[in-house]
Amino acid sequence: MTTQNFTSLPQELQLATSAHVKYIQSLDSRKDEYDYWLTEHLRLNGLYWGLTALHLLGHPEALPRAETIDFVLSCQHENGGFGAAPGHDAHMLSTVSAVQILAMVDAFDDLETRGRGKAQVGKYIASLQNRQTGTFAGDEWGEEDTRFLYGAFNALSLLGLLHLVDVDKAVDHIAACANFDGGYGVSPGAESHSGQIFTCVAALTIAGRKELIDVDRLGRWLSERQIAGGGLNGRPEKKEDVCYSWWVLSSLEMIGKTHWIDKEKLTNFILSSQDTDKGGISDRPGDMVDVWHTCFGIAGLSLLEYPGLEPVDEVYCMPKSTIKRVLGR
Amino acid sequence: MADQGGSNHGIARTSRTRTEEQRQKDLERIKDYRDLEDQVRAHAAKNDFSADVFALTSKLLRLNPEYYTVWNVRRRCLISGLLSKPSPGSSPSKASPTSSPTATTTTSSAECSSSLSTETPPAPECPTTGKSGTTAETEADKEDEEQKKQQNKEQDQQNDQQILQKELHFTIPLLLESPKCYWIWSYRLWILKQVIERLSVPVARKIWEEELGLTSKMLLRDQRNFHAWGYRRHVVEQLESPALEGKSLVESEFEFTTKKIEQNLSNFSAWHSRSKLIPRLLDERNADDEARKAFFEEELNKIGEAINVGPDDQSLWYYHQFLMLNLVSFVGHPTITPAFTQEERVTYLQREIEGIQELLEDYDDAKLIYEALFDYTLYLCQLQERKPNEQEEEDLKSWLAQLKKLDPMRSGRWADLERDLGLRVVEEA
Repeated sequence: MTTQNFTSLPQELQLATSAHVKYIQSLDSRKDEYDYWLTEHLRLNGLYWGLTALHLLGHPEALPRAETIDFVLSCQHENGGFGAAPGHDAHMLSTVSAVQILAMVDAFDDLETRGRGKAQVGKYIASLQNRQTGTFAGDEWGEEDTRFLYGAFNALSLLGLLHLVDVDKAVDHIAACANFDGGYGVSPGAESHSGQIFTCVAALTIAGRKELIDVDRLGRWLSERQIAGGGLNGRPEKKEDVCYSWWVLSSLEMIGKTHWIDKEKLTNFILSSQDTDKGGISDRPGDMVDVWHTCFGIAGLSLLEYPGLEPVDEVYCMPKSTIKRVLGR
Repeated sequence: MADQGGSNHGIARTSRTRTEEQRQKDLERIKDYRDLEDQVRAHAAKNDFSADVFALTSKLLRLNPEYYTVWNVRRRCLISGLLSKPSPGSSPSKASPTSSPTATTTTSSAECSSSLSTETPPAPECPTTGKSGTTAETEADKEDEEQKKQQNKEQDQQNDQQILQKELHFTIPLLLESPKCYWIWSYRLWILKQVIERLSVPVARKIWEEELGLTSKMLLRDQRNFHAWGYRRHVVEQLESPALEGKSLVESEFEFTTKKIEQNLSNFSAWHSRSKLIPRLLDERNADDEARKAFFEEELNKIGEAINVGPDDQSLWYYHQFLMLNLVSFVGHPTITPAFTQEERVTYLQREIEGIQELLEDYDDAKLIYEALFDYTLYLCQLQERKPNEQEEEDLKSWLAQLKKLDPMRSGRWADLERDLGLRVVEEA
C-alpha cells in the first residue's frame, strides 16, 4: 500500500489526525461529565492510552510533559506501586501504565529523584509473583491472570529489573496456558482469547522464549479472527472490535504472520470506526468513541504502516523510538 | 495494557449535546457521587474501617462497581471488625493450597497502616488460661471453659456466615448489571475464600455448591462470557479440593458442556471446556482401550452431525481438529486414544477425509471444508511419514485453488502453504 492509495480515499477513510489530537487533549477537561468521575479508576491507564496515541500520531507534545510527570508521581505509593489516581490503591495495571508513561516522556530520572525510585517499583511488582506457579497477581488481594504476568515483564524489562522475578517459572506458567488451537487463555484450562494471546506471546518474546509458540497453529487461529467486514474478533464466532486490531495484529507481527490477513480491509475497518468530526475511534463503526479504542486503533494502523504514523513496537505498544532509547534495540 | 472496564463497547454514537438543564443534573449527580467518595476516602485515610464506612462502600459500589479501591476498603472493613478474628490455631490448615502472594506482600495503600489487611490480626481476648497447673482449676472448670470456647466459636461462625452470605447477595445484582466487570468477580472469589477459611466444611461446601448455579445462570444470559466460564472452572476446582472434602466433578462438568452444546452448537467455550475435561474423564472412568475407542467414535459422530448442519461454523471445525490431533499428535500429552495402532489412526483419518469430501456435494462453497481436507491430508502424510502421493498432490492443489477463490482475505496464508509444499496451483479464471 502506498501513500497514493490513502490520499485518494474518501475523507471518512483518511486518518483524522488533528481531530484525534484534540479529542485526547479534551479528555481531562470533561469534569462536568459524570463519566469522567466514574472512570477515575482508569486514569493512569487512560493517560497511557492517550499519550501512546499522541506519540504515534506524531504529536508527543500535545499533553504537557511536566504535568504528566507530576501526575504520575502523585499516584505512587510508599511500597513503590502506583494507583490509578491519587487516593486509589496500588495495582499492577496502573503501575505498568506509570512505567510506560515515564518511559515515553523520558522521565525515569524524575522517578529516581522525586519518586520512590526504580528499585522500589521493581520490588513492588516482584512481590506480586506467585513463586509456586510463576504467575502474577494484580495486587495484594490475589486475582491472577496472564495480563498481570505480561504487565510485570513489560514494566520490569523497561526498568532493567527483570532479574527480580523467576522468569523461568513464569514461562512454564505461560506454557501451561497453551491450548490445542495454538492460543492461550487467562490461566491453565481457559479458552484461547486474542487479548490473552497477546499477553502470553509478548511475555514469551520479552523472555526470549518464542520457540515455545506453535507458530503455524497460532497464526492460523489468529488469521481466522478476521471476518467479512475486515475487522478482527477476539474469539471464534464473536463480533469484530477495533481493539483486536491491536491484540491480534501485534501477535501476528511477533510470529511474523501479519500477511496472513487482509491488511487493507482491516485498515478500512479501523478508519471507518473513527469519529472524523469530534475525534476518537470506537469499537466498530457508528459507536461511541473512547480513548482505549482510539489508542489501539491507531496502534493497529501504525503496525499496518499507515502513512505518517510513528512505528509502534509490537511487544510494548509504545513508539519504537522509545523502546530503542530505553532498551537500546 | 489494562482491562476493558470503562471503555465503550457497542454503545451507539450520539450527538451528545446537553441542554443546560441536563448539564445541571449531571453536576448534581457528580456532587453526590464525589461527596460519597470523599467520605469513604476520608475514613480510609484515618484507618477507620467501621460498619458506617462499610455501609458507605455499599452505596458507592452500587454507583460504580469498577471502583477497585472501594472494594478493597470493603475487604478491610470485613477483616478489621465485621468478621471474627481467627483465634490462634483455628483452622489454619484449610488455607488455600495454591497460596497467592497475599501472604507475602505489603498493603498496597500508603494510607493504610500495616496493621490492616493481610497481617494476622491480633489475638482476640481469650479467657486467661495461664493458670493451668495451679491447684485452683478443677475438671469442671475446664469443661466449662471448653464449652464456652466452643459456644463462642459457633457464634463467631454463625455471625461470619451471615455476613459472608450477605456479601454474596450484595454482588449478584451488580454482576447481572456488569457481567464483565473483573473487580466484582474477584471480590466474590475473595469472599468465597473467606468462607473456606472461616466456616465449617459442610457449611462452606454448601455455599460453594451454590456458585455452580450462579455460573449456570450467567452462562444462560451470555453463553460465551469468559469470566463466567473461568469462574466456573475455579469453583469446580475448589469443590474438588480437600479443603472442601471434595471429589471429582468431571462427569457432571462434562454433562454440563453437553447441555450447553445441545442448546447451541456454536458455543466454542463449551467445546473448549470439553477438550480439557476429556482426558481426565477417561482416566477417572478407568476406560480401557475399547471404551476409549467407543468414546472417540461417539465424539466423532456428534461433531460430524453438527458439521453437517453448520459447515461454516469455526467452533465446530476447531473441535473436529482437536479430535484429529488426537490421532496424529499423541506424544507427550494426554490423549483420548493412546493405544490406537498406527493402522487404526490411519483408518480413522482416511474415513474422516472421505466423509468430509462427501460434504462437498451439498456445500461446495464452504471454505472450512477445503481447509479441513487440506490439513487432514497433510496429517495423514505426517502420520505415515511420507510425502503426498500424486493423487493427493492433485487434491491439495484443487483445494488450495478453492481456498484462494473463496477466502481471498487470507491469500498470504494460502501463498505460504503453496510455497512450503512446493505446489504450483493454477488459479481459476
